[in-house]
Amino acid sequence: MLTVAADRLRDELTLALGPGGVLTAPEDLAAYAFDAYSDARLPVAAALPRDAHEVAAVVRIARAHGEPIVARGAGTGLCGGAVPVTGGVVLSLARMNRILSLDARNRIARVQPGVINLDLSRAAAPDGLFFGPDPSSQRISMLGGNAATNAGGPHAFAYGSMSAHVIGLEFVDEAGDITWVTIDDAGYDITGVLVGSEGTLGILTALELRLLRTPRAVRVCVAAFDGVEAASECVSSIVAAGIAATALEIMDRTIVRAVEAHYRAGYPQEAGAVLLVEVAGESPDVEASERAIAALARDCGTLAWRSASSAREREALWAARKGAAGALGRIAPNYYIQDATVPRTRLPQAIARVEAIAREHRLPVGNVFHAGDGNLHPLLIFDRREQRQLDAVVAAGHDILAACIDLGGTISGEHGIGYEKRETLPLVFSADDIATMERLRGAFDPARGFNPDKIFPSGAVCGEVRTPSPTLSHA
Amino acid sequence: MSAKLYALGTHLPGDVETPATLAELAALLRACNETGRAAVLFGGRTLQGLGAVPKRYDVAIDCTRLDRVIEHEPRDLTIALEAGCRVATLDAVLAACGQFVPLDAPRAAAATIGGTLASGWLGPRRATYGRARDFVIGTIVALADGTIAKAGGMVVKNVTGYDLSKLYVGSLGTLAAIGQANFKTLPLPSVRRLAVAPLPEGSRARTTANIAALATEPAAALIVTGFAKEIDAPSGVDGCLVLLLEGSERTVDAATRELRSALGAAGVPQTRLIDREAGFAFARVLDAYVETLGSRSMTYRSLGLPSDTTPRIDAFARVARANRLTLETIEDVRTGDVIARLSARLVADFATRAKLFDGERRTALAEARILVAPEKLRAGLDAWGAPAASLPLMRTLKSRFDPNGTLAPGRYVGGI
Repeated sequence: MLTVAADRLRDELTLALGPGGVLTAPEDLAAYAFDAYSDARLPVAAALPRDAHEVAAVVRIARAHGEPIVARGAGTGLCGGAVPVTGGVVLSLARMNRILSLDARNRIARVQPGVINLDLSRAAAPDGLFFGPDPSSQRISMLGGNAATNAGGPHAFAYGSMSAHVIGLEFVDEAGDITWVTIDDAGYDITGVLVGSEGTLGILTALELRLLRTPRAVRVCVAAFDGVEAASECVSSIVAAGIAATALEIMDRTIVRAVEAHYRAGYPQEAGAVLLVEVAGESPDVEASERAIAALARDCGTLAWRSASSAREREALWAARKGAAGALGRIAPNYYIQDATVPRTRLPQAIARVEAIAREHRLPVGNVFHAGDGNLHPLLIFDRREQRQLDAVVAAGHDILAACIDLGGTISGEHGIGYEKRETLPLVFSADDIATMERLRGAFDPARGFNPDKIFPSGAVCGEVRTPSPTLSHA
Repeated sequence: MSAKLYALGTHLPGDVETPATLAELAALLRACNETGRAAVLFGGRTLQGLGAVPKRYDVAIDCTRLDRVIEHEPRDLTIALEAGCRVATLDAVLAACGQFVPLDAPRAAAATIGGTLASGWLGPRRATYGRARDFVIGTIVALADGTIAKAGGMVVKNVTGYDLSKLYVGSLGTLAAIGQANFKTLPLPSVRRLAVAPLPEGSRARTTANIAALATEPAAALIVTGFAKEIDAPSGVDGCLVLLLEGSERTVDAATRELRSALGAAGVPQTRLIDREAGFAFARVLDAYVETLGSRSMTYRSLGLPSDTTPRIDAFARVARANRLTLETIEDVRTGDVIARLSARLVADFATRAKLFDGERRTALAEARILVAPEKLRAGLDAWGAPAASLPLMRTLKSRFDPNGTLAPGRYVGGI
């Protein structure tokens, strides 16, 4: 953008939002150039609106200048969804961080998009309620971003991802108009398609969320196995037996050692893999489920079984699990995390393929994943300063996705496509499938001003697969 | 096939088509689209009266021959079926391996998967298990121009590309024809128990409050007034509580004890428990949502918060009284739904009173929608209630997916 035009855009934004609502200095903008995936170029401005009207003003101004708008929450996304790839205006929702209402009787909360995920469960706790989706980033990630990416987390296994919990929302459309929609509106499910649209259809400015009743009894157990495949077999048999666990998470030895070094939660460090099991519900059922799962674990050759004896111990196990990627970051120069999902019975095969691919490319790999959902998170460890490793990690990442698709799976279970996997979308969907998705986008945002360069492949011709970007997350 | 079976309002279709494959379905749509003929999709015809009567209607496309189970791996807890499969087939296939999908479709033996999804059907157990839309993990559809397009897949957690399945669910066949749907399933609860209790005069409010406070939540909790044919129990002055308990034997037994004491405290003396026939009895209650009294009744659904069902029921009662119509209701304590069936004793009286009722309810019950009404009367009624704020966007969506207006034009909200 020409300096004169950029100055005019910045002036108009400042006029609309006040001097505290707009950042323009390069050192300030640097913080808005990246997310947890990678960095890119600086935006022209970062806007920090306080309400939906200010969001609408930003949209109108950016549109008038022909500048793209990239919405952003806490920037914890792992696929470059909040990266301003071609500059433009980054619209941070972080200042819109109020819980607007909490209706315990009807179990509904209304929040602004900048409310931190965990803060909602904390606010609802006195009423015996909590919010279901709990991405590992829940201590910092924001509900608006969670909704935009249809985030999941360990408990998506039992409670579903964000889309099952967002029952209404307010959004600002490409014209700068503000609209409330709910899933009970007469007509098309606008709420349902906005959730998970990764900021490409509109800007979410408020959410109406379903709250759940806190279960009366919770048990958290840890089973040790000699390897990830055995642990995966155990998960497949638990799921197949129809035992109602609320979370089934696996970590391999690499990850366990990294989390133990940092958290000392008490995971067995010698085992090849550990399975974290949570069962919640009515007290007698929870005990029966735990016994049944322990028996299945024995059948799958568990080396050790431990049940957390206190709430504190449970929380420590969870904190360590949710901090796994961060803990690995302390010991690895860089890592690249994948998010492929496979049918649950294919989990052992998928893990075997991941390990074979990592070996083939001479890369260390750590596995931490939502096993109950078949959602893998292999973390390929590399050093970005070494070109060989950088090339290898890109190639291995692609091979893993292809292998998971081959097993009947898909390329993202909860992180999103973003910038990172846009060129991989045609591995999963045909040109017709993608063109149909483009019809939806065209109805919302024909000018493609919202988060361009995301989700959809860059090629003019659909069906073309390109090499993913080499700029990868650093720890 | 007799065209009469496919009559809508006062229209009869010129042709009735019965495709046996998705490719045939797509080819039929393309042909209609190219020749300017309007097509309406049919499943089991259990909810065909939803929405307005289409403005144009040339071809009926009956999808019930698309009835194959495509893929079923019980250990994955997923299943893929063609849209013409009956809901009862899905239930039976899954029950055989101890699983279910909580669609709660009325008349499940006739209702199809595609029709149930396209109708956006909302059942009472959604408060416990979630909505049908949340169990759909993938779809394959045919667009009006014959394009076959997939969304989602066969994995239970998936954020790859837009979740277009959400758009098709509830679109009443106005954006695309659902050819295949993939579901995630749940383990079937080992015990189902239906508790039925007549509510004596003055016990209703306390019953509702006590049920909301139950520590072990029922899978569904309805208070039914009327619907004598479907509810096999004597109704109390304040209606009849129908409550479904699902879970392990221990949990259901504990819930039963808790329920009895909660009802006792609300002044409800007797509770009948139905165990072996619980599924059948609950299915009869679901049927009541769309059951008619011939051409002398119509039924509305009002959606709202559980805390505000009473004023909505009162509003129905007020407008019904003013128009000399008999009111029967199903109040869903957990979801906040109110189902209201209005009837007259004589067919000859009904049409006039129904039209007046429908006109007057637009202020007090603007959001209520018609679930079922006599076919000939439907054209004169407001099927949709107040339009949503997103109506202009919905029009644009329609124009992107079905620019020629091939798919049931005029059936949807705002004449879409």
